[in-house]
Amino acid sequence: MINRGSQIKSINTSNEIQVENISKKFGETVALNNCSIKIKQGEVHAIVGENGSGKSTLAKILSGVVIPDKGKLSIFGETPRNPMHARKIGVEMIFQEVLVAENLSVVDNIFAGSDGLFFRSRSRNNAKKRSQEMLRHFTGIDINPDTLVKNLSLSVKQWIVISRSLITSPRMLILDESSASLDLDATNRLHSEIRKLRNEGCSILVVTHRIAELIRIADHATILRDGSVVGDLSGNEVTSKNIMQLISSKSNKTEKFRIKKSTTLSNSNKETVLLAENILVSKDSNSFNFKLKAGEIIGVTGLEGQGQANFINTIAGIKPPLSGDIFAGLSNKKNKIKNFSDADKFGVAYVSGDRANEGIFPNLSIFENFSLALYRILFNQFGWIKMKPLKNSFNLEKKNLSIVMGRSSNRITSLSGGNQQKILIGRVLATKPKIIVLNDPSRGVDAGTKRELYSQFKNFVSAGGSIIYLSSEIEEFFDFADRVIVFRAGCPFANITSENISEDVVLTAMFGNLDPSNIANKEN
Amino acid sequence: MKKNYLYIKDIIQKQNVLLAFSLLIILITIGALIVPSFASSISIRSMLLLAAFLGLASLGQTLCALLGGIDLSIPYVIGSANILLASLLNMGLPTTLAILIIIFCGLIVGLINGLLSYRLQGQSIVVTLGVGFIVVGVSQIFTSSGVYGGNVLSQVPPWIRNMSSFGGNTFGFPLPPVVFLWLIITIIMVAIMSRTLFGRSFYAVGGNKRASSRILISEFKIWNLAYIISGGMSAMTGMILLGFSGGGFVGVGDPYLFTTIAAVVIGGTSLLGGQGGYGSTVVGTLVLTVLTSLLVGLGLSYAMQQSVFGLLIIPMVALYARSPQIRNQI
Amino acid sequence: MNFFSKFNQFYMHNPRLERERHLLVPIVLIIILFTVIIFRAPHLFSSDGIGGAIIVISPLILAALALTPIALVGRGGIDLSVGPLIGFINVSLVAWLVGNGYTSPFLVVSYVLGAGILYQVIVAAIIIYIRVSPIIVTLSGYLVLTGVNLTIMDRPSGFSPEWMYEWGYGAEILSPIFFILSGMIIIWFLFSRTVFYQQILLTGADERMAFASGVNTVAARFGAHIMGGIFAGMAALTYTALISSGDPTQGNTYTLAAITAMILGGTSPAGGIGGGLGSVLGSINMYMISYVLSSFNFGNVSGFVTQASTGVILALSLLINSLMNKKVEKL
Repeated sequence: MINRGSQIKSINTSNEIQVENISKKFGETVALNNCSIKIKQGEVHAIVGENGSGKSTLAKILSGVVIPDKGKLSIFGETPRNPMHARKIGVEMIFQEVLVAENLSVVDNIFAGSDGLFFRSRSRNNAKKRSQEMLRHFTGIDINPDTLVKNLSLSVKQWIVISRSLITSPRMLILDESSASLDLDATNRLHSEIRKLRNEGCSILVVTHRIAELIRIADHATILRDGSVVGDLSGNEVTSKNIMQLISSKSNKTEKFRIKKSTTLSNSNKETVLLAENILVSKDSNSFNFKLKAGEIIGVTGLEGQGQANFINTIAGIKPPLSGDIFAGLSNKKNKIKNFSDADKFGVAYVSGDRANEGIFPNLSIFENFSLALYRILFNQFGWIKMKPLKNSFNLEKKNLSIVMGRSSNRITSLSGGNQQKILIGRVLATKPKIIVLNDPSRGVDAGTKRELYSQFKNFVSAGGSIIYLSSEIEEFFDFADRVIVFRAGCPFANITSENISEDVVLTAMFGNLDPSNIANKEN
Repeated sequence: MKKNYLYIKDIIQKQNVLLAFSLLIILITIGALIVPSFASSISIRSMLLLAAFLGLASLGQTLCALLGGIDLSIPYVIGSANILLASLLNMGLPTTLAILIIIFCGLIVGLINGLLSYRLQGQSIVVTLGVGFIVVGVSQIFTSSGVYGGNVLSQVPPWIRNMSSFGGNTFGFPLPPVVFLWLIITIIMVAIMSRTLFGRSFYAVGGNKRASSRILISEFKIWNLAYIISGGMSAMTGMILLGFSGGGFVGVGDPYLFTTIAAVVIGGTSLLGGQGGYGSTVVGTLVLTVLTSLLVGLGLSYAMQQSVFGLLIIPMVALYARSPQIRNQI
Repeated sequence: MNFFSKFNQFYMHNPRLERERHLLVPIVLIIILFTVIIFRAPHLFSSDGIGGAIIVISPLILAALALTPIALVGRGGIDLSVGPLIGFINVSLVAWLVGNGYTSPFLVVSYVLGAGILYQVIVAAIIIYIRVSPIIVTLSGYLVLTGVNLTIMDRPSGFSPEWMYEWGYGAEILSPIFFILSGMIIIWFLFSRTVFYQQILLTGADERMAFASGVNTVAARFGAHIMGGIFAGMAALTYTALISSGDPTQGNTYTLAAITAMILGGTSPAGGIGGGLGSVLGSINMYMISYVLSSFNFGNVSGFVTQASTGVILALSLLINSLMNKKVEKL
């Protein structure tokens, strides 16, 4: 393969990769604390950690997007100052977010950044041909390289981004949660591409929290927790058990979620609080029924893009179902939930783990982030906001959730991710809903915080509330959920009751296999 | 040390009203020292009068800026309201009716601005500019049965003249009523913006639109309300200015094209949205007005005054409304 | 229905045409205006009609082209100061150079280009390094330059360089201004074919993606502004020829006119969409609109009708462009 892209790479004979004592702070938050990693040529090295462990920051430092505060960073003899410099050195990164210019063509997107300021790395026709080849190789379809990217599906966009990184024959490739938008089949194709590159001598860094996927390709794994390196595994040591042990803050994994489980009463005589009849949440899928009872905690999960996120958004009223109806309680036209404000009216509250997009107001104080949601309940549009009832509510939730903060008038961005999440959950609890729908709320939240949240949820549920909880971390459901619904191809695939919830069972269900002896009747 | 720097920056951002306020005090002091009769009652009266006009015109701009938008139709609506009131009065309409009609038109123009720019959010500049052109063109056509295109001579009712002219009195007190009107509106606005759900909704939407809809604050409603209020206030200002100018003149709004933005920015409201408020804008308005008097007192021409304003804007914005680094947005 | 769906298929889904979709409105508008003018005011299509039109349009076309790269590079890049900049270059040329006897063509052209570039480099530096939004910086520029212009010259006066005296007559089509205009359009065309232009488009289409992919966004932004400065300089040159003197305030009207022309031509200030051809067509459209309107006898309201129509067309073209973008997304 002729690689004229190497024209812009610096001729560099050094093969060393040194990442030593790297530290980085963002404001008050410590993202990385004295991290050192040994990366070799021709290996697939996984950087594992939960959300908020610092792994994305590390990846961004290696690719020149972020500059570390302290430490020695030398890749092939140079320190990447910015992404342009990093690409010259031979470092390519595929970011967590699918970064494409929607209004430009496929070829423009794939070759973005490959050309210098004044000279092309290859002729336009050549570039178009190459784009077509690569996409055909990855997707199996022939895509006209002049097509505007906005007309293509998300997974094709992901392949475009991946192609962008591969055209220059990188010496180091960093993937940050890059299989997020790919289905199982495509992920396999990506993995075989990774293996091929590894065999050609490239260093591959896979930054992820998906243990099940990474053990299939990683030669080596570095585990991060709260910004520090806590473990280093190679070869046969790279197993999910070892990784899980290192990730959790107590060495005894099972202790983590040992919350006093209240005695489970039989569910059969509890009232139905939410009923979904024949709803369709994903295109080209099947409709299904769903029933939620008082005092239930239902977990929802699945591989990326299998419909569970659509389900959560639909049940919370954010998106209307593609077909079918949702009722607050039993089937009755008077309590049909058609939109978000209906959902709110009937006591369905929503909390998202995507704090930056759906949760916090970065320009406002901690206190106001909490109390904004309560204004409309306590006061009307032009009513004078009285501080006392808000302060009482705030202090109550602060105590219950053990929120750590400075002054409540500080900006919310001064809080850690976990504490921000507590504020968002606290404000929902303060509105005294009947049902709480949570969309991956433990993103970037440490285990201790999770424990505190779960115990509040347990209290909520024993007082008669219900919870629907989406997560991609299977261990969150142990000793917590009454049952777990695994989504596949846009609708529920398996319904696992609490005594059967284990990592193996859930994982196998996610990948499409059912062990009949382990799983309760699929129909609810 | 880096930690202290960040903390100081946070203070400045929260207290940028204080910053603008100290700038105001400094300017007043310099003015009183350097310019003769700067602090005389005549001079103060004229400053307050001009500040009142700018302040009223900038109210709408503040609300739009809190949401990250801009309203460039303000000068055109002001001019149109000015000549339309003169024209309607000439046609013999009762004053109250004419006023109500024009305020209503102002609100409708605001609604059009809001609806159009909601769809095209990055383009509120161009949309409001376009709507402004249409409004001023149409209103001039409407009033041009008169000979002097753009100017409408009329009998201005004495109470309007008293309201906003230099010699106006409020129950005997030697300050034109428009200043007190401005004061009252300021107090009401500050109260609403800081302690009502309605007011806080602007900050919510300006801070994070999706998060706002998750707590049932409608971005659509708030966006349109900002522009509607701006349209209404522009219409009101245009009519009040009739008392000041004594006759309808369509160009009466032109100075407000950029000075409303300058007042908002200098006062400390960020054009990126979510920060600032009407209190800040009031301070910014006073800064601009005092600065103008100072520069006039120093003998600077109108032209040079414009230049000074222009030079002042950038450092103020650099202090508290810089865009984030692209590195931190990935 | 069949024709429409075929047209839809060809136009909306042909990838090569999709890039130029923003040209639909200006092209349709030109055809309409052309037809109207043929019937109402065919005098435009005589040699001195076209000649005169070229003289008047050239500063507007060049001003719109000066705005285009700055809009393309994104971040809400509307250059509000282009009018006063043209005014500044005009009055400083007349007062400082011609007024002191420096009238050689080489010097004059170097000066206008140099002044335009220098100003834009300063603006770009403030946008890039101090990270103040382009609207605020150019707003400041508008105010500062307005003041400076009136200080240099308090009312219209002075003379253009003597070799320009006859340029403003507009009696023939192939005038010097015509050649300058064509030359600059060719330069733009060549520029739009370069790799550098591509970097500007990438930066404007999505700055985060461009930065993350290693595009030199700083250089792209500087380059876009420099191009803008070059075209602003030439716009000032043709403007000086048009009015044969210096005018400290009339130049300001170019801000709104050029912005309207650019938007009409389909370039979006958000970045990444549009191009020079659209701005040229948009300017021609603006001229033809006022020509058509003046052919109806509106009497003393004609100026207002033009103003109102400009507003309507601005709002409409924005709306149409936004609808077109949305439409393809749904499919």
